[in-house]
Amino acid sequence: MTSKLKLLSASSGFALVLAFASPAYAQNTDANTLITNTVNVDFQVGGVPQTTISAQNQFRVDRKILFSVSEKTTVGTTSVTSGQQNRDVAFTLVNSSNDTLDFSLAATNTANGTTIGGGRGTDSIDVTNFEYAIDTNGNGVLDGAEAFSTSLTLNDVAKNTTVHILVRSDIPVSANGSVAVVQLAATALNSNATAITAVDDTVANTADVTSGTFQTIFAEDLTPTQGNTSRNGVSWAWDDYTVSAPVLTVFKSSRIISDGVSSTNPKAIPGAVVEYCISVANAAGAATASNVSISDLVPTNTTYVTNSIRRNVTVTNPGATQTCDNTSGSPVTDSNGDTDGGNFGTPTANTAYATLSDIVQNTASAMIFRVTIVN
Amino acid sequence: MKIFTSIVAAILACFCVASTTFAATPLQLVSDVFVERQVVKPDGSKTVILEKPNLVTPGDNLVFVVRYKNVGGATASNFVVTNPLPAAVAFDGTSDGLETVSVDGGKSWGFLGTLRVTKPDGTLRPALRSDVTHIKWNLNQTLTAGAEGKLIFRGIVK
Repeated sequence: MTSKLKLLSASSGFALVLAFASPAYAQNTDANTLITNTVNVDFQVGGVPQTTISAQNQFRVDRKILFSVSEKTTVGTTSVTSGQQNRDVAFTLVNSSNDTLDFSLAATNTANGTTIGGGRGTDSIDVTNFEYAIDTNGNGVLDGAEAFSTSLTLNDVAKNTTVHILVRSDIPVSANGSVAVVQLAATALNSNATAITAVDDTVANTADVTSGTFQTIFAEDLTPTQGNTSRNGVSWAWDDYTVSAPVLTVFKSSRIISDGVSSTNPKAIPGAVVEYCISVANAAGAATASNVSISDLVPTNTTYVTNSIRRNVTVTNPGATQTCDNTSGSPVTDSNGDTDGGNFGTPTANTAYATLSDIVQNTASAMIFRVTIVN
Repeated sequence: MKIFTSIVAAILACFCVASTTFAATPLQLVSDVFVERQVVKPDGSKTVILEKPNLVTPGDNLVFVVRYKNVGGATASNFVVTNPLPAAVAFDGTSDGLETVSVDGGKSWGFLGTLRVTKPDGTLRPALRSDVTHIKWNLNQTLTAGAEGKLIFRGIVK
């Protein structure tokens, strides 16, 4: 008999089994289900039909803990600004076990310098204040009665169901391009929130035809991309934030407008008028800079020229070779409290102030003011 | 060799859990079930063994073995073996391919390839293994006194 059974294993059925080793059956028969097989034989003896005879065998279905946590589509980094608070990322948890389970959730930062892969950048910053919410309607945003809390256990997740989860955290003040990779781990629990006791390969299987005597095994997919290397009832997924911040470069230049003597090429002699230009450039690919304010203390041995401030001045080649168009932008009066975006002397005396309009990536803006060299 | 003995052990052990028919009938019938496991041998190669169905979870492959023996003194004939599939088991073929099946709870029978299933919209589609509800063998042979045999089919825990 043994040899015939072995033969069967090696026949066509064998190849079929290997090809479909673990078909995903939506039914996912409940743990503790008793499966009874009955076979009936009808036959005749001497042409006379005999009573049908039957035989049975029984076994009980055990509990298979199988679930997955995934970054919710659309998959990809979440762009945030430096210092932003309460930024959400979305995950899904699918319970593919054959039982109703609870799941406790824990989000953690990935160690700085770690590269998870999968198109994510190298982790360089840590976020803070993790909070969790069930996204009941699965729309990826918090709405209705959905609420965040500092800890969350998913209660009674039925087999073959998906739970949508939001995780929220605060972004530290950080440089453009900084990446925070966060991991959301789920730990499977019994439906009464107690820890699951599972058997592993070292534990002998027990016959369990009596109700409630089934065994439990952890059966997570050991997916290399998720880094899950052991079957322990814990699965996780990663998501990441990328900081988009302005990258500003400031440069101050001066040129002599007139010296009262020379008709061309004025010299820096006492009484000469000098124009300062302070440029602010925002790098390509950086976030838009808003509310950029500039203050500049007028140098000693110079005197500020009244109402000489201009803001949002056009600057070409910002930096060492910059030129500033002193007819562009708008003039700023010296008085404080008006709406022209600048003043002279408030709050600090002898200081020129101007606020620039938004500077988008790969552009620059400037303020200018004039002084005279003290005689 | 170890695997060989483990299969023997599994089969011997199963004699005691599987039920047998009454001694009064001339035909002795035993139904066994095994779960198929793929194991990795120390040299890294994979092999399939059959175990008692103690640890069984959805997706596992089952092997059902029906053994029959004529323990009476007369020859039996017109031998028909019928096995309704448990609800939680999907049919996955037999070892001999000689079975007829039913996809409607035992009302009508035929080879799987000839059967049709009515779709929700009223049209017909060819029946699949997953539709099978009953398996039947019409063994067109006699079973003399003392003769025995067995039938094997496969299933998958849904």
